[in-house]
This record gives sequence, C-alpha cells and structure tokens, in this order.
Amino acid sequence: MTSRRNLSRYTGYFFALPYLILFTGFVLLPLFYGLTLSLFRWEMLSPLPAQFVGIANFQEAFHDNYFWQALGTTLRFVLLAMPPTIGLALLIAAGLRAAPTKRQSFYRAAYFLPTIMTISVAGILWRWFYNSEFGLFNAFLAPAGVKIPWITDVRWAMPSIVLMTLWWTIGGPMMALLAGLQNIPISYYEAASIDGAKPGTQFWRITLPLLRPVLLFVVVLNVIGSVQVFGQVYMITRGGPELSTRTLVQYIYETAFNNYRMGYAAALSWLLFVLIALFSFIQFRLMREQ
Amino acid sequence: MLRMVKRFNAENPDIQALMQRMDWATCYNKLFVAGMGGRAPELFVVHTRAIQRFARAGFLRENDDLMSGANGIDLADLDANVWKGVEYHGKHYGLPLDVHAMGMYYNRKLFREAGIVDAQGTPRPPTNREEFLDAAKRLTIPGSGGRPDQWGFVFTNWESNIYTIMRQFGGEFFTPDYQKCIVNNAENVAALQFCVDLIRRYKVAPPPENFDSWIGFRQGKVAMAFEGIYMLADLQKQSDLDFSGAPVPQMGDHIAVWADSHNLCMRSDLSGEKLAATWRFIKYLSDNSLDWAAGGQIPTRPSRRNSPRFQQMSVQSAFARQVPYVNYLPRLPFIFEFQTEFGLALEKALRGRATPADALQVAQDNINRIIARDREANEAAGRGISA
Repeated sequence: MTSRRNLSRYTGYFFALPYLILFTGFVLLPLFYGLTLSLFRWEMLSPLPAQFVGIANFQEAFHDNYFWQALGTTLRFVLLAMPPTIGLALLIAAGLRAAPTKRQSFYRAAYFLPTIMTISVAGILWRWFYNSEFGLFNAFLAPAGVKIPWITDVRWAMPSIVLMTLWWTIGGPMMALLAGLQNIPISYYEAASIDGAKPGTQFWRITLPLLRPVLLFVVVLNVIGSVQVFGQVYMITRGGPELSTRTLVQYIYETAFNNYRMGYAAALSWLLFVLIALFSFIQFRLMREQ
Repeated sequence: MLRMVKRFNAENPDIQALMQRMDWATCYNKLFVAGMGGRAPELFVVHTRAIQRFARAGFLRENDDLMSGANGIDLADLDANVWKGVEYHGKHYGLPLDVHAMGMYYNRKLFREAGIVDAQGTPRPPTNREEFLDAAKRLTIPGSGGRPDQWGFVFTNWESNIYTIMRQFGGEFFTPDYQKCIVNNAENVAALQFCVDLIRRYKVAPPPENFDSWIGFRQGKVAMAFEGIYMLADLQKQSDLDFSGAPVPQMGDHIAVWADSHNLCMRSDLSGEKLAATWRFIKYLSDNSLDWAAGGQIPTRPSRRNSPRFQQMSVQSAFARQVPYVNYLPRLPFIFEFQTEFGLALEKALRGRATPADALQVAQDNINRIIARDREANEAAGRGISA
C-alpha cells in the first residue's frame, strides 16, 4: 500500500518528464550558459579566445545610449500596444458572447486567423500595405488627397507597428477573455436586470470583477510578449527610421549576429530577462492580492 | 551562376561543385556560424567590405601562392584598387569576381522631353555638377498641389550615393593608419550639405520621408538615380521603361564612385586535392566571368571587360568605365557597426533633423569609441585593423 502511494507521488513528475527534459535542454541550460557568457568578452570576429571580464558587459550597457534608446522604444511599444489590445479584445469578446452560437464561432475564427499567420508573412504583407507610394492604405486615402508616411516618418512608424500588432495578436486575448466571460453565469445578469441594473452597471459590477483573474492573466502574458517584440518591427521597419523603432530584442540580435559580440549580447539578454521577471513578479503579486 | 556551375561540372568530370543559394540578409550569419563549427563550404562568396572581418576571424585561406602558381592569374589583369580590397595585413584572401559599381541610371524618355539631348537628339546624361544640377532642375516638373509630378533625381541607397559624393569632394573617413575616424571634416560636411540642398534648397529630389525611391524611378516619375549595376536585371524586365546607364557625374574635384565586389573565398583549412580542385573552379569562374556579367555584373579582369562581347553590354560597359577609380567602403573589421553609425548620420541630415556637421560629429565620436574597444580587444594579438 505504502509503496504504491509513494509511486503515485512521483507519477506527476513522470508525466511532466518529456516537457521537463525539453525545458531543461532548450531553456534552462541556455539560460545559464548565457549568464556565464555575459561575464566574458567573446567576439566571434576576434581570433582571441573568450576572456573573463566580470561585470564589464553590464557596465557597458549602462553607459550605452543605444541600449537606453532601445529600452525606451520597447517600453513605448508596450504602453502603446497593451491597453488597446486588451481593451479591444474585451470589447470583441463581449460582443461575441452576445452573438448566437453559430455566428459566434465564425467571428471567433475570423478574429483568430491573423494570429496563426507567421510573422514573416504578416510582416511582409503589412510592409506592402504601408508603402507610401502604392500601398493599400494610401490607395484608400488617395481620393481624400491624404498621403500618410506610415513607416517612413519618425512620428508615424511606431503607431503603425502598434496597429499591425493589434491586428496580428488580438485573437489570443480575445479567446481567453471570451472563455472567461462564458464562465460568468447568466443568472447573475438576470438577477441584476430584475433589480434594475443597466448594462453599463452590470459590466462594471459583475463582468469586470468576475473577469479579473482572466484579465490579469491576459495582461501579464501580453506584457511579457510585448517586451520581447521583434518580428514585426524587423520585418516592417528594420528598426528605422532613425532607429526610432529599434527595440531591445532587435538590438540584442544585431549585437550578436551582425557585430558578433556574444558576451555583450548575452549581458543585454539578461537585462531583458530581469526586466520581464520584474514585470511578471509585480503583476502576479497584484493577481494574488485579489 | 547555376549554368556556369553545371558547365564546369560537365567539363571537369573529376570535380563536382554543388551550389547553394542563400539570401544575403542571413548569409553571413549562417556562414559565420558554420565557420565556427568548421562546417563552412570549401568556397563561398564574401563582399569586399566584409573581407576584413572574415580574414581576421581566421576563416579564409590566403591565395597569393595560388595566384602566382602554375594555374594562376596574372596580377596585371586586376585593377590595383580591386585587388587591394581583399588584402589583410599584406596577404590576399579572395579572388574578386566582379566589381558591382554604382552608376547613374537615367530615363531617356524624360531626358528627351526636357530637351536634354545632343545634336542627334540622343539623350545626353550629365557628367559634372553644373550639368547635373541643370538637368535635375529641368527634369523636375511641378504638379498640382505643390508636389512635383516628376523628380529630377532621387537618393536610393543613401550610403552608396552619399559615400560617392563625399569621396568626390575629397572627403576622408579615417587617418591613414585607421586609428582614428575623421568623418566629420569640411569636405564631407560640404558634400552632405550638397545632398541636403538637392532636397531642401534646389528641390530637385524628393524628401526621404514619403517616397519610395527606386520604385519611383521604375515608374518613370524620377529621371536620374544612382544605383548598383545589380539593379540592371530588375530594369531589363520592364519593357515600358526607356532607360540607360552612365558613369556617376563628378560633383567635386575628385573622381570617385562607390563599389563593392563579390569575392571567391576559400575555407582556411583547405589543402591537397580539395584545395587544387577548389582553385580550379575559382579560376574557371574568373576566366568565364563574362557569362556572369551577362546577368548584370561587371567582371574584375580588364581582359574580359575589353572584349567585344562585354562592350556590347551597354549599361555594364558604361558603368565599367568607372572601375579604375572605384572606392570601397573603409577597410574595417567592424564594418557593420560603421555602417549603422554612418547611415544614421546621413538619415538625420537628409531628413533635416540635424545639420550635416552635427550628424557627422555624433557618428565620428561613436566610431572612435568602437575603434578604441576593438583595439583593446585585438591589437595585443597582432590582429588590429589593417590599413
């Protein structure tokens, strides 16, 4: 009896094993390899072997204007992209919930469709949409005599990236929020209606409080994803114009694979990792307090 | 190129060459990682601007011995500036196959319409600054709403376009020993100001914020553009565009034009039979570089360029007249970092977001920091910058 209970204690680990192996091999080990690397000066262009330099790479980052610029750009992206993504996803989810089942599944699929597209395809597509000479958007605007420098002007480039991101990523949060909404019993709304609560009041008093765990989950995931933004920026603007859309991940990529400064790139990656961990920690704390 | 490889394989049954195409955007990354793991191909193509970094990393085999060997190539059949491009610390690390120089593409129809023609009515491309400015002004046609319907000129690739004009103004980029970047000098500032003036003062080129430059030329909305010979194939597919090619007009006191080369490079550890076979293939490609030229390239070797067959390729031969004085980008192992800084300065100046002097000063300071860092890391190993 006892041995059997002991065995069942480990059954869970057994089921988790395949994932744990992959996680260790492809996430955990590289992570710590990267940490080691971040303490070395290792430049693939140099015939010299890697050399231990302590925290010099991190010190360099703190004095590196391009690092701060990329960090600022990244945070700007998160602030510009996250609220409309969540807000719009919630709006669509609320609308879909009210729709009849058949139509609901059609629209759900439609909104989710862009998300399954790979970023290279979506990015090239939008780069053409945004082309100022013969892009789709400016073609629509041409009759009104408007010509927008979507991705060639410093002021427009980041909002354009955000707009594309909205289209590309809205499906995920929308699905999660829709599932969350469907878990709220209809009877609450019925009772509220009988008590004379208007739809607006119902939303603020019933929907939002009960949706909170899902909402926070979605926000956390969205922020983590947004901080790592790379694909759409790289495909559409390459970080331009004037580096105004070069995010942290692109800077790390260029440091490692254009300039081959592996140690410094590893240090930058770890700074990004700390940033993400910090965000996640704060958000999970908020979640637990609820 | 594939046809050349196939023909070589047929003519040399003892050697089988396998070709793999790769996108330039990721080619160097893949090559580098493969090289690190010792899995690089025997032969690969490296641009002249990237030779320094690959040579320093120890990935390339020198070929001075093979050039002078029994199956060699006469050095007199290579332009000195082109051959110098593949040199690192006194040795040469590749055989330049072509010189893809920049040149001037011009729209013959627009030239005729503007009356810029010779006595026979043939379009007459400008050759110096005065002619260029005059032509650009006459070719810029105002449209409705204050925006020109047609532009005289457009900056396509800022780096190659402006690098050329800076060199024509006599601008230097580094001290002769490459220990210091001096890009912010009077000549370069004047050259960059001239470029800004084309947009802001003379208004003969569109501002870069809202114009797809090369497409503009292809659409016939732009009369002149400076681009590499490699864009020729693109234009030749377009039957409704009446264009031709000419050397880039001389804007300053010096003759100069940007170029790069595709160099045939060997993996550093090649030896014995493999080395001999690889070299035979390299020599075959070089000897037959006219076939390569037909696809829109300029062969390195004057003997090939002087052949009647090449002279019949009108745009190629027009661009090829510039080969003896082409300028490659500075010889730096950290060339991509240089390009980032230089490109950013040009972008800021052209967009009117910084004066040429301010923009170049920032680039100069940043590049000097990179030099210092590079020196610290490599000089001790005798692997500093090779002037």
